[in-house]
Amino acid sequence: MTATLQIRNLTVSLRGTDVLRDLSFDVGPGKVVGLVGESGAGKSMIGRVLAGALPDGFAVTRGTATFAGQDLTALPPAARRALLGGRVTFIPQEPLTALNPLLTIGDQFSEYLGRLSIPRAARRDIILSALEQVDLPNPAQMIARYPFQLSGGQNQRVLIAMAFVSDPALVVADEPTTALDVSTQMSVVSLIRRFNRDSSTGLIFITHDLRLAAHVCDEIVVLYAGEVVERGPSSRVMASPRHPYTRSLRGSIPEMSGPLHRLIPLADSMPGIGAFAAMPGCRFAGRCPVADPTCAARPPAPMELGEGHMVRCTPACLEGAAALTPEPLPPVPEPNGAPILRIEGLSKRFAPRRGLWGQVRDPGVLAVDAADLVVRPGEFVGVVGESGSGKSTLARLIMGLETPSAGRILVGDTDVTQASRAARDTRLQTLQMIFQDPQSALNPRRSVERLITQGLEASGAPDRPARARALMKDTGLSADLARRFPSELSGGQKQRVNIARALCVVPRLLVADEIVSGLDVSVQAQILNLLMRLRDDLGIALVLISHDLGVVRYLCSRVCVMQNGKIVEQGGVSDVFSNPQHAYTRALLAAIPPDDAADTWPPATTKDPAHDAA
Amino acid sequence: MSVIHRLMHPRIIIGGGIVALFALAALLAPVLPLRDPASQALLYSLLPPAWAPGGNPAYLLGTDSLGRDVLAHLVYGARTALYVAVLAATGAMLLGTTLALLAGYFGGWIDWLVARAVDTWMSFPPVVLALILLVGFGAGINNVVLAIIIVDWTRFARVIRSEVIVIRRRDYIAAARLSGFSHLRTLVSEVLPATLPLILTLFSLEMGIAVIVEATLSFVGLSVESNVPAWGVMIADARVYIYQTPWGVMLPVLAIFSLVLAFNLLGDGLRAALDPKLRQRGGVAP
Amino acid sequence: MALVILRLLGWRLLVAIPTVLAVSLLVFIVLRLIPTDPAAMSLPPGATAEDLDRLRTEMGLDLPIASQYLIWLGDLATGQFGTSIFFRRPVADLVAAALPNTLELVISGLVLGVSFGMALGMVLFALRGGMAAQMLDLAGSAIMAIPEFLWGLLLIIVLGVSIPLLPFFGRLDPGLATPDRITGSLMLDAVLTGNIQVLGSALRHMALPAMALAMGLVPLVMRVLRASLLDVAQEDYIRMARLRGLSESRILLRHALRNAVLPTVSLIGVQAGFMFGGTLLIEVIFGYPGLGNLMVDAVRNQDLPVIQTVALVYCVLVLALNAAVEVLYLTINPRLRST
Repeated sequence: MTATLQIRNLTVSLRGTDVLRDLSFDVGPGKVVGLVGESGAGKSMIGRVLAGALPDGFAVTRGTATFAGQDLTALPPAARRALLGGRVTFIPQEPLTALNPLLTIGDQFSEYLGRLSIPRAARRDIILSALEQVDLPNPAQMIARYPFQLSGGQNQRVLIAMAFVSDPALVVADEPTTALDVSTQMSVVSLIRRFNRDSSTGLIFITHDLRLAAHVCDEIVVLYAGEVVERGPSSRVMASPRHPYTRSLRGSIPEMSGPLHRLIPLADSMPGIGAFAAMPGCRFAGRCPVADPTCAARPPAPMELGEGHMVRCTPACLEGAAALTPEPLPPVPEPNGAPILRIEGLSKRFAPRRGLWGQVRDPGVLAVDAADLVVRPGEFVGVVGESGSGKSTLARLIMGLETPSAGRILVGDTDVTQASRAARDTRLQTLQMIFQDPQSALNPRRSVERLITQGLEASGAPDRPARARALMKDTGLSADLARRFPSELSGGQKQRVNIARALCVVPRLLVADEIVSGLDVSVQAQILNLLMRLRDDLGIALVLISHDLGVVRYLCSRVCVMQNGKIVEQGGVSDVFSNPQHAYTRALLAAIPPDDAADTWPPATTKDPAHDAA
Repeated sequence: MSVIHRLMHPRIIIGGGIVALFALAALLAPVLPLRDPASQALLYSLLPPAWAPGGNPAYLLGTDSLGRDVLAHLVYGARTALYVAVLAATGAMLLGTTLALLAGYFGGWIDWLVARAVDTWMSFPPVVLALILLVGFGAGINNVVLAIIIVDWTRFARVIRSEVIVIRRRDYIAAARLSGFSHLRTLVSEVLPATLPLILTLFSLEMGIAVIVEATLSFVGLSVESNVPAWGVMIADARVYIYQTPWGVMLPVLAIFSLVLAFNLLGDGLRAALDPKLRQRGGVAP
Repeated sequence: MALVILRLLGWRLLVAIPTVLAVSLLVFIVLRLIPTDPAAMSLPPGATAEDLDRLRTEMGLDLPIASQYLIWLGDLATGQFGTSIFFRRPVADLVAAALPNTLELVISGLVLGVSFGMALGMVLFALRGGMAAQMLDLAGSAIMAIPEFLWGLLLIIVLGVSIPLLPFFGRLDPGLATPDRITGSLMLDAVLTGNIQVLGSALRHMALPAMALAMGLVPLVMRVLRASLLDVAQEDYIRMARLRGLSESRILLRHALRNAVLPTVSLIGVQAGFMFGGTLLIEVIFGYPGLGNLMVDAVRNQDLPVIQTVALVYCVLVLALNAAVEVLYLTINPRLRST
């Protein structure tokens, strides 16, 4: 059976530098192939090659991409446009912005069917049937709605319906669930698989989540810096990865079951395009724990390991990589001492807004509902929940960025619930916050040095450069970055600056709001290990807000699960995760792809549109 | 990457150069070899410029209906225009920016008040308001400056307030507060620097607008006292004789055009040079 | 949908009242700063001091300012707009004659300005940078550097005097009688009475003033449309539309333009005040019998009743234009409807 899509030695260059180098893989009919890689690895670039939408300056310089007997890279624009949307369709990453906000769902679907040359009379029925197949409630009503009136999950279902309605031969899904909540992700993924199984469509599933790919895809292609470093059946690649990068990638994902192992730390981050020119050999060599000098000089040839498993590495390095085993984590000591932070019955209602005639313009929302929490010195507490659960509001309440509607906050023995000057001073001495988005959390006009020692500015403390140097050392930032500006730093470096700034005034508790969600997995591991070291060295406590249960399991000893503003379950991490009591906690845990690729996931019955209705 | 390098933008150089030329001429007017703009020579009235047929080399750009030298009038008119431009733009900038910073940063009733004031101002043609103000204040160049400040502070307030509201939501503002910054310190050291590029751009544009408003008012006869040279007055006078010699109208129009264009280019160039978004997009403007 | 529009208009009406009141207060107070005495201006020379006192009492000028203001408001509410000191005719008559003319001018200027501006904006977008685009951009800057009334003068010189192509004074060729007054608007009445000759003359006389007014709008619309087209072109939904195989022209017209036009519509709302302001001197230069001409005469003669009333009329006009723009915006953008 010939493959639907055959990529052979595909190379894309920018001004003489090979951005994608020598890619080869097949997509068979009815098969799902996962392209796995961190951001910048080039996985989205492949989608652009197929679409003929390479950015200015990029061009295919070698290789072929054969689809239905034609080489897509050599196709004239008119022929390509005939394919797009018909035999080759796409599912985008950001469902909320993928449809024109000024036209109804029905209008845009109908327009698309017109492009497929379907007569006007037949369109409505086709649309209704397609929307039903993706489990959208009340399709007749949906047609008249606008994209902003639907949730992210619902929009994605519409886009999936549009992608499959033409019965395409190839579907390219570019990170289709990255922007969605965990539970929505599960139902969308099972939907995609169902469609794929029912037809003979070949599907390319692009993702950064190796664990997700192991369950969704039949075959995994691991990309690093524009090259395929490993390729094979997903069960094999997940269970026994051979390439040092794949091994560390898998080792950087916190496990959801079994004993915890220290995340494998890889220094720095993946090289960018600018660095490729200086790397004639293996591009992973700079970070590879088992590299030898020859690796950097000559690119290793692909090695077949049998059963469709390919690795681009040398036998010597492979042996060395196999010898790397993650070390188990030592148990965390029990925290002792008086609680640093106590929250009792904390609530926050955002007031409803009324119009002039008393009509309700904005119903208001109870963002946090009677939350209780205690944090002791040296304790790491995780707060997990999906979007809208109120966890970010809880963080802001703790830090005093919002005023509570009810309840108390105690720092040590002082009641800081009110917004008085004394309360604020006490709070700021003991608590500090690390913000989520390093882009907006760092003033682009301040140098790293001035940013980190910001806490000393108001009191006019002397010798800020020395303090900055000490803090940079603590957080693993090299000293020569002191005079740089945020725009010159990588995501991981920016987050370290964030942490260093929070540490400047020597707080006893840090509140970290989703601080690793935007980072690459390997960089995430670095930050998590850094936080652990800070706990061991400084005895600092942490409240970690996160939607990622794996991260919380790795880092924290206690966890609170939030749903719609309420803490529905609270307790030790190992207890709650292995034996969840509340239905929501159970549902949340079930929505995470299991560590073991052999487990069936998603489970057979995952039609839950109610989740998407939010 | 350095600021100086970015400022070497063609529009800034050209715009700034022309403005500098006008400013120089205006400042040095008393010492330049010009005729007295007020001296009349009725025998030589309505002469075209020296290069046109009928022109007289003694009057380089010609004369008006009373035989007064057009070139001298233009240069002295530049003094009027620039005086008004600089003072009015500065005043409007100070008033509008202060209100915008307070309104955008603190929100609440301050914001409501400022927003309502801006709405009220925007519901009225600015030229009409300026006219009415001058009817009330009476003629005089400082009254013109005051009128323009009162009319045009909203131009700054509206745009800068939106910008401040966007900046306010950024996490680094909250981070500054959590570092123990007072509201004042946060405003001055975090918010204000982020709005400076916009303020500079608007300032340059506002100077151009002030020149136009002054010309409009002096055209109607409501601007400076009658013995002070102004471009608008020149145009109003010359308009009557448009059939005989269009030069009388064309030359002051050219002066206004050049100066305002220079201010606009300068403002555009500043925006392109200092706005990181435009730079990232690969530069819409050259 | 109609309900939403009605509710919007009702809301706008309600909010307009305090605005108009605020403007009226501002205008009233400013005008009372004048040292000259309106009563003294109304009297013929040679009047006695008693005449002056009597007239002052009659005009209510001996009352405190607050009372004068309230009396004036009361008069306005009952439709008494006062008498012009200079023209010695009821202000209401003067305004009623001038208002339709100014409306026609503004609408013509808007139509010309927006259509040319949008066309040029799309051209500029299609040119994508490069020499031609930079020239056009520069031309836009140059046009903006000349205020509309000066454009009026330039157009007169070029198209009226040097090449006598178009007329530039008044509304009609001298000798033509105005048609019967049905709506008050000259051009509408000409159409309704089937008077082609008058319509043609009116259009030819409108050409230069409308072009001058449009000059204030064209470069702005061009820039804003081009900038928003560039923004929209980068949006996800445009990329996805392309990936669905839709043709470029369809994407541009049905998707990109529809979204890009929104900031342009907002711009017109913002420029409303400036447009009416532009009519002021354009009417003076072209001898056009509209509100602007009336206002300038009133200002030159310190004719307070006219100034006050025409100022309020301008305020109402600008608010009305803003409301119309908002309705237009609402019909295009569904996001604002669900409130």
